[in-house]
Amino acid sequence: MIGHGEAAGIMNLYAVQLECLIAIWGILILLTDAFVPIQNKRTIGYMAAAFTAAAFFYSFFLVPVDEMLFHGMYRFDMFALYFKRLFLLALTMVLVMAAEFSPRIESGMVEFYALLMFCAVGMLLIASVNDFILLFVALELVTITFYVLASYLRRQIPSLEAGTKYLILGALSSGFTVYGIAYIFGTTGTTNFDKLSAHLSTLGSQPPLAFTFGMLLVLTGLGFKIASVPFQIWAPDVYQGAPTPVTAFLAVGSKAAGFALLLRVLFAGLLPVQYIWGPLLLVLAGATILYGNLGAIPQHNIKRLLGYSSIGHAGYMLMGIAAGNALGLSAVLFYLGQYAFTNLCAFLAIIAVTAVTGSDEIASFSGLGKRSPILGLALFLSMMSLAGVPPLSGFFGKFQLFAAVIRRAQTDWHYYVLAVIGAVAVVISLYFYLGVGRAIYMQEAEDASPIPVSRPMRLALYVCMVAMIGLGIYQLPLVNASIMAAKVFGLH
Amino acid sequence: MFATGVSLLITLVLFANFNRHDSGYQFVWSTSWLPTYGCSLKFGVDGISMTLLLLVGFVSFCGAFVSSEIHEREKEYYILFLALTSGISGTFCTLDLFFFYFFYEMAVIPMYLLIGVWGSLPPGKHGRTKEYATMKLTLYLTAGAVLALIGLLAIYSISGTTDIEKLQHNWVAANTQLWVFPCLLFGFGFLASMWPFHTWSPLGYAAAPTAASMMHAGVLKKLGAYGIIRLALPLLPEGARHWANLLAVLACFNILYAGWVALTQKDWKFVIGYSSVSHMGYIFLGIAALNVVGVSGAVLLMFAHGIMAALTFGLIGFFYHQTHNRFVPDLSGLARKIPFIGVCMVMAVMASSGLPGFANFVSELMVFLGAWHQGSTLFRIATICGVWGIVVTATYLLRAVRTSFFGPFDERWSMLKDAVTFKQKFPYALLLVVLMTVGFYPRLLTDIIKQSVATFVPANSETDVAVAEPATSELPKVQE
Repeated sequence: MIGHGEAAGIMNLYAVQLECLIAIWGILILLTDAFVPIQNKRTIGYMAAAFTAAAFFYSFFLVPVDEMLFHGMYRFDMFALYFKRLFLLALTMVLVMAAEFSPRIESGMVEFYALLMFCAVGMLLIASVNDFILLFVALELVTITFYVLASYLRRQIPSLEAGTKYLILGALSSGFTVYGIAYIFGTTGTTNFDKLSAHLSTLGSQPPLAFTFGMLLVLTGLGFKIASVPFQIWAPDVYQGAPTPVTAFLAVGSKAAGFALLLRVLFAGLLPVQYIWGPLLLVLAGATILYGNLGAIPQHNIKRLLGYSSIGHAGYMLMGIAAGNALGLSAVLFYLGQYAFTNLCAFLAIIAVTAVTGSDEIASFSGLGKRSPILGLALFLSMMSLAGVPPLSGFFGKFQLFAAVIRRAQTDWHYYVLAVIGAVAVVISLYFYLGVGRAIYMQEAEDASPIPVSRPMRLALYVCMVAMIGLGIYQLPLVNASIMAAKVFGLH
Repeated sequence: MFATGVSLLITLVLFANFNRHDSGYQFVWSTSWLPTYGCSLKFGVDGISMTLLLLVGFVSFCGAFVSSEIHEREKEYYILFLALTSGISGTFCTLDLFFFYFFYEMAVIPMYLLIGVWGSLPPGKHGRTKEYATMKLTLYLTAGAVLALIGLLAIYSISGTTDIEKLQHNWVAANTQLWVFPCLLFGFGFLASMWPFHTWSPLGYAAAPTAASMMHAGVLKKLGAYGIIRLALPLLPEGARHWANLLAVLACFNILYAGWVALTQKDWKFVIGYSSVSHMGYIFLGIAALNVVGVSGAVLLMFAHGIMAALTFGLIGFFYHQTHNRFVPDLSGLARKIPFIGVCMVMAVMASSGLPGFANFVSELMVFLGAWHQGSTLFRIATICGVWGIVVTATYLLRAVRTSFFGPFDERWSMLKDAVTFKQKFPYALLLVVLMTVGFYPRLLTDIIKQSVATFVPANSETDVAVAEPATSELPKVQE
């Protein structure tokens, strides 16, 4: 770096431009608060969404940088770009939701948008993390904004409960992560993933016990983010209590961020010790799938249901990581991509419906197919995609994950057990997802008045539905993108 | 209706152009879809799938005809009906494992909504609602599908290709076949209502709207058996040999157990529902025989039974729509008011009981011959069970027809109207004509089925074939 300091500086700036753009735009949004009359606050939300949508399209013109950036702390490769696009997309949709949701927030509407954007900046950083120190900083940026966002409806007990729960457990898991990082640094002398990987592969024998301990602690912190067993208890409560746009961002953005970190740490840093974490994740994946899908059966609040469902989906994606082959890796990336569209579609529909009914109970979605055909269809399709029914994108996501697990099972029969657990859970999950479908199409509404759908909302719904069906039938674009992104780890 | 009419026409044109002396796949059209997975969108038909495509064409066309009874949310109804049809025909003509599974699964969800929204289930001893019935159906079918998926993915990860044609040369190791085969057998068996996984089926039919039960009993169920014949047998011949005995035993359970249950049923749709489970037993028996005659008989029976089941469900739908009652003891002397329906029903029942002149007779005969010539004692016992099963079938069906169509006329039903217009008569007449055409001239289909079956089912021995061949349809061996 020394000698071409200036060139490296420009490179660094090029790599973090998306983060800078969103952060600056967030600050500008905050400033507009002083000048815009209160009845126009909704428009600010749409403007913010439009800008992030523009940033999303702009990100397709960026090219990855091979060099080490910020002294090796930061990566701007295909993997990072894939996730950055995912986060920008999620942010756009969540801002649309937030604007729709704004009448239900008593005060501080613009801060709500800005916090969502700052949170997204943390996620954008997470996509590029290549060092434990930056990992911690980025992770905290995301988690701390979520503490605030989850308890944003401050007059409502469930929202406060959600915020408090998330705060206590989140702080605890952050503590574990730092503690783990300290152990890893203490035993290997580095916090950089590449150096760590190089160090581990020269080790030859088993790493010291203290290192394994530290690694497990870090995995604990990440397990909390993705809500995997045994750190999943918070998810249903927080999902239910938090304001719905925040729930959506947790389900799509925060989860993807957790997986981005997990993939980076495991495949860039800890690949030489795959024999330690592979079997561990195998067990955790099975347990997470079962917990999420079984727990969802008795739920009658749709946000809580989606909370359990998100645990289940974390389990499916862990299947791909546990498989530990290139197919599994790209399958996880594909799954995250399609899961974003699917889940956002569900939450968009939920927000539009609850704006009228004021209830998250599944029973309040009765007769939705007649009250608003587009919302009914959107919610039904997203449920079916979550369940993994063709021709929707969720099906192909699961198909790839199963293919990866069964390919791995050719050398290790334990993976067949995992595949069977996953298969059983697909059937279980169909039961409760169809329960929502039954309410939409087979039950009569008490109040059959039509539900209005605003134009930005309609547009966002169409985008999600087209993506769900399109990626379900013609999977190639996203498959190629996920394979390109997975290539950075050089697996077979 | 227009769309299904077009698809029937296309199917008939395909059939007319089908080269009857070629055992391989024809009309193959393929395009690369996911090169990284080695999977391509590939369609093509051979004798087996051609036969079944014809079945789809006829049944969906007639199903659309009888759907005129639907007056609520018509647009959605036809969208789902066509989605169902496209899923089924997609499965029958795809030559790629991935798309096979894709279409196979795609057929399940439209069924869920068709039953749940437009279905009806009169309260009865079963004490279930249509929501229960449709949920049970969907979960059973999905359970079977994911089981089959594990087997299919195992084949894929061993061979590295999803092309069904290539897979036939790319044999899976024998000891792997032993456990992959049951995955496929039971996985597809769920959909084909194999005993003891059949319980969803009569309940589902009973709750479904007429056209949906026609499609389901007639065609969708055959997907399961098709999956076994198209994938499990040619790809896993060792596994098939190993599990054939178990399949034969299960087939007997299907035939006799379901027949016995049907004897005690009082609801018309349950009678026919169990009857169709029982008929699937013959198909399994034919498959288990693992010789050309048996498997060809099974395929022909799939066709014949599909047409017959669609016909019966259509007829039941016709009078149920007016009476809102299909309880066998409540109905009496219907034939006086609706003679056309009565005649059709008698013919359908005769076909179902395997009387000569209908396609069912030929195919059941082929199945029995195939099973008998398989040679082992087990199969001979199974064949005897099967023949006995026909007696049982005749008993419950004839009894039901006698009670509700003949006997003293009940004044309650004096408001019934018969099918008088061409539009009302046409679907039933068409199905009957098909059934009798194939019954009198089975070579129309058996020729092409046999060639395709012979490519993957080894004849047990020369003598077996020699004995079986002339007995079934006196056809001279194909020269080419």
